[in-house]
Amino acid sequence: MSTTQMLKGIIDGCILAIIHEKEVYGYELAERLEQYGFDSFSEGTIYPLLMRMQKEELVTSTLKKSIAGPKRKYYSLTVKGEQELQQFIVRWESLQKSVNSVLQTKGQKNE
Amino acid sequence: MNKNLSKESQKFLDNLQIYLVSSGKNERESNEIVEELTDHLRLAESEGKSVQHIIGHSPKDYMEQLAAEMAFDKKAWIKFIVTIILGVFSYTILTRAASGNLSFSLLNVIGLTFIVALLIGAVFMMFKYIAANSLSKTKEYSLYFLYSLFSLLLFIGLILLDQRITTPVVNFSEISTLIIALLTFAFLVAVSFWSKTWIVLIFLAFLVLPDLVLNQMSIDPKTQISLSTTITFGGIAVYLFVVTKRQKKA
Repeated sequence: MSTTQMLKGIIDGCILAIIHEKEVYGYELAERLEQYGFDSFSEGTIYPLLMRMQKEELVTSTLKKSIAGPKRKYYSLTVKGEQELQQFIVRWESLQKSVNSVLQTKGQKNE
Repeated sequence: MNKNLSKESQKFLDNLQIYLVSSGKNERESNEIVEELTDHLRLAESEGKSVQHIIGHSPKDYMEQLAAEMAFDKKAWIKFIVTIILGVFSYTILTRAASGNLSFSLLNVIGLTFIVALLIGAVFMMFKYIAANSLSKTKEYSLYFLYSLFSLLLFIGLILLDQRITTPVVNFSEISTLIIALLTFAFLVAVSFWSKTWIVLIFLAFLVLPDLVLNQMSIDPKTQISLSTTITFGGIAVYLFVVTKRQKKA
């Protein structure tokens, strides 16, 4: 399985978490993801995801003028988006626990 | 900030815009995402990132991904098709009225509507295809040529069919022809005001005026037809040439 396939679904949660920290515009978001180590997918992938999240009312956007630059679209979480983020955290923690314990048991057998 | 985008990025953005518009996506939404990506590509390139790093290896796949998240603008689409069909009918009515009384067969009316709708669909499919696959100029122009040939064949086909098959015909008297022509003309003037361009009326002048003027002169009909056709298409070509040149300068 490729990383891209594994990332599906997980990346949505991470985007929500990053936007939750602070309002960001597209390029900033892509940079953050890269800093956190998500570098296997093309940066533009975030835009279709952001569009979908906007349709699902998880995020909203406002145009803001940047200093000496063009108007930029800044994304922030809605209440629904915050709830979705909380649910994602719960789901991720239990998933992570399960995956880790499977891998650990397997590791012990191999020893 | 580095203001100049690489040629590759600019081409991708232009193609994306064409792709989204030809897919019938909402214009405002389309402009928004193109602006957002322009900003993104500019920032990324000033940090030395490649276009592929942003949009992946297949521009086509990426365009499809974006389009999939955007709504189809049905209202704008219908408005557009209706306007074009009315426009084609206006031209047909006025050019025919310029050379005599109006007469329309049922086949004529239905056929014309059908052909125009078909050609609009085809032109958008063609643009979408060209934009998604970033075709070479030669292939692009060959497609335009095939398209013109195809539309010409359809129009000739309709004329031939109309001569062979009799369907109910509506003939208009001199006065009703005049009234219809005036109403149609008023419609085109209104469209020009609404769209704030004179192109509709300029095209009309090139189509109708040569006939009207040449009709008054005593020249042999064959010369008249070739003369009026030359003036019409030559005039439109010159007009388009001048307009494009002016736009490039601006």
